Amino acid sequence: MTTDLGAIRSGADVPVGSPLLEVENLIMRYQVKQGEVSAVEDVNFTLHKGEALGLVGESGCGKSSIALSLLRLQAENGEIVNGEVRLAGTNLVELSEEEMRRHRWNEMSMVFQGAMNTWNPVHRISDQIKEALDIHWPEQLSKADVRYRIAELFQTVGLNPDMMDRYPHEFSGGMRQRAVIAMALSCNPQIIIADEPTTALDVIVQDLILKELKRIQEELGMSIIYISHDLAVIAEVTDSMAVMYAGKIVEYGTTKTIFGGMRHPYAWLLLSSTPSITGPRRKLAPLEGEPPNLLDPPSGCRFNPRCPFATDRCHEEEPPLEDIGDGHLVACWNWEKVPVGVQAGDVL
Amino acid sequence: MTHPVVRVSELEKRFPVQKSVFRKATDFVHALDGISFDIPPGGSLGLVGESGCGKTTTGRILLKLLESTGGQVLIEKDGEPVDITAITAKDDLKDFRSRAQMIFQDPFESMNPRRTIYDTISEPLTVQNIGSVAEREVRVAELLQLVGLTPPESFIFRYPHELSGGQRQRVAIARALVVDPTFVVADEPTSMLDVSIRISIMDLMLKLGQDLNVSYLYITHDLAVARYMCDRIAVMYLGKIVELAPTEELLANPRHPYTKALISAVPVPDPTIERPPVEIKGGISRSINPQARCRFYDRCPFAREDPCNTNDHPPLDQVGEDHWAACYLVEEIASGAAVADTGDDRSPEPANSRDRSRT
Ligand SMILES: Nc1ncnc2c1ncn2[C@@H]1O[C@H](COP(=O)(O)OP(=O)(O)OP(=O)(O)O)[C@@H](O)[C@H]1O
Ligand SMILES: Nc1ncnc2c1ncn2[C@@H]1O[C@H](COP(=O)(O)OP(=O)(O)OP(=O)(O)O)[C@@H](O)[C@H]1O
Ligand code: SF4
Ligand SMILES: [Mg+2]
Ligand SMILES: [Mg+2]
Repeated sequence: MTTDLGAIRSGADVPVGSPLLEVENLIMRYQVKQGEVSAVEDVNFTLHKGEALGLVGESGCGKSSIALSLLRLQAENGEIVNGEVRLAGTNLVELSEEEMRRHRWNEMSMVFQGAMNTWNPVHRISDQIKEALDIHWPEQLSKADVRYRIAELFQTVGLNPDMMDRYPHEFSGGMRQRAVIAMALSCNPQIIIADEPTTALDVIVQDLILKELKRIQEELGMSIIYISHDLAVIAEVTDSMAVMYAGKIVEYGTTKTIFGGMRHPYAWLLLSSTPSITGPRRKLAPLEGEPPNLLDPPSGCRFNPRCPFATDRCHEEEPPLEDIGDGHLVACWNWEKVPVGVQAGDVL
Repeated sequence: MTHPVVRVSELEKRFPVQKSVFRKATDFVHALDGISFDIPPGGSLGLVGESGCGKTTTGRILLKLLESTGGQVLIEKDGEPVDITAITAKDDLKDFRSRAQMIFQDPFESMNPRRTIYDTISEPLTVQNIGSVAEREVRVAELLQLVGLTPPESFIFRYPHELSGGQRQRVAIARALVVDPTFVVADEPTSMLDVSIRISIMDLMLKLGQDLNVSYLYITHDLAVARYMCDRIAVMYLGKIVELAPTEELLANPRHPYTKALISAVPVPDPTIERPPVEIKGGISRSINPQARCRFYDRCPFAREDPCNTNDHPPLDQVGEDHWAACYLVEEIASGAAVADTGDDRSPEPANSRDRSRT
């Protein structure tokens, strides 16, 4: 394997803890008959080398849309209309499709939402991973090299290499998801985007998969973007996190800081509506109202129709994502009114 | 004496594994292998356990949507227990359906897309010939109000696709309650909904349970949800109930090794809490012709040849006040005399752990 990977493996030189992926003012919209779906609206975040970053929010808030935009794999009717996605300094948005292809999978790969259910049932798992290697690995690999690589990948994700020539139906759900992760790791990326990697799995299997990802992150110095609708999963696996609502990041910071006191009303309510088996059994708080329509998002703060703290200003002016101290960013005019150390079910 | 609303004893369900249509099956999936429990009036029992352990099968048998292959189900009628296998006459079946109802996981699948909300909710009344058309309309409006779809007139003639997921689940609840049942099986009724919507549906079911004195069998794979909804929890593993106790007692003081593993695997929404490692072994759980030994044997970190492998599955024994567990080593595990050995198998999920896709 002689190809000079240096040209595309720019991220490899980034020291642990330094910015690796910087997303700035990203806007991505889908064109539909009725107009424009504002799925990613002015999003900013930084993923550091070796870090796990979480994107959390409810169905339809734009999590997968962000992930797909980073790889420029959004649906055909989606267009990045503004912003930069800088990978070790290179702005991916400006690259030609050909150049982008070289970065995809080699530098940044993705575990697609629901991918464990999209294995082709009539092909062996090994053949399906081989296909990915054939397309993405920078040079032609011999048959023996491919099998060696797949065996290595199986070991990395905790699968027995003897299983590689089996068919998808011979794998359990958890095993199929491990194989998906193996495929995402196939070309040694710096960054993995894991979109709901455990959503369809039982808790015990979820625990195993998350531990495996954590180990891979630590052992390979990998950076991971976790996408989940489950705050508890995000709390456990990430170093920093962004809470999304209606295409926007509404709260951002280190995971410890944010869980230490959520100051955006939506984030606070989301946590207050998450049942837990630890601590006292508390009343949970429902989030009233309807999820937003991204074809015609509310003016001012997008959360204002459902927000218990909303004031006149919230209907008119959009709150910026601002540092309220120690790198804890919140986009709310009234964040100071959100109580710390109390859950919504106890006070509303 | 008041009877429990539901009494299940030694319930068994085997599905033949058909090799060919011409041959008699010799292999069976032991979906339910002799389970027993009671649900008192107004009580709610949570049924939890991994995918494929038999939760839905239990619910469907209780509602006569599926026939058992052994055991007994008694469901209360006018204060008296009635064996549901004795209900065969058409009128009796109608009467049964007015006492016992089901709420499904996917509200969309259980609704006909071409029928209005009114049609959907009033269907059980129509089938059972209850009330005049005008009376049914009043009743449906009443229920829409009850489940929070207000004002009723703006919902009553809509179609399912004109509702959100949460609203459709409210319709499914209204439909289950329109006949005033005493018993409802709810099979993962909120697992497809977003957390924020989930809570209002759970609160609604709790409130209606109290106000209308409905008893629930609440099926979920999510212990945190079971904690919120149920006063007792039964943990299932491969067709067996392995532990049964009041909710808080079960969570604070689990006695069965599978329950312990399950509890320790639940992620906690607090990054300062470090969960203890989950003590469970790799291995494949078989529900086809299982061997005569503890069903958890292959994956149990405490398992010992004797008594776990040399005896059949342990009985569900009382281990505390209203607390039951099926494990030979309960006492030894509690005293610390038995030590966990999770091995170093790195491919540990059971091959039967099916997916639980949200969409
Ligand atoms: N190809 C498309 N065309 C038009 N709208 C789309 C398209 N793909 C997604 N959307 C819309 O964009 C918004 C964001 O969708 P996205 O899939 O990013 O959400 P998500 O946060 O990943 O949700 P989930 O948790 O359900 O996966 C939603 O309103 C969705 O309906
Ligand atoms: N109609 C059927 N024919 C054959 N086997 C069946 C049938 N229905 C269920 N089974 C088997 O019975 C067992 C119990 O299934 P069941 O659907 O009750 O599980 P569950 O606990 O509800 O799982 P999940 O959490 O995935 O819904 C499984 O092994 C399943 O494959
Ligand atoms: S800006 Fe206003 S409406 Fe938006 S979250 Fe803050 S208080 Fe609520
Ligand atoms: Mg998504
Ligand atoms: Mg089920």
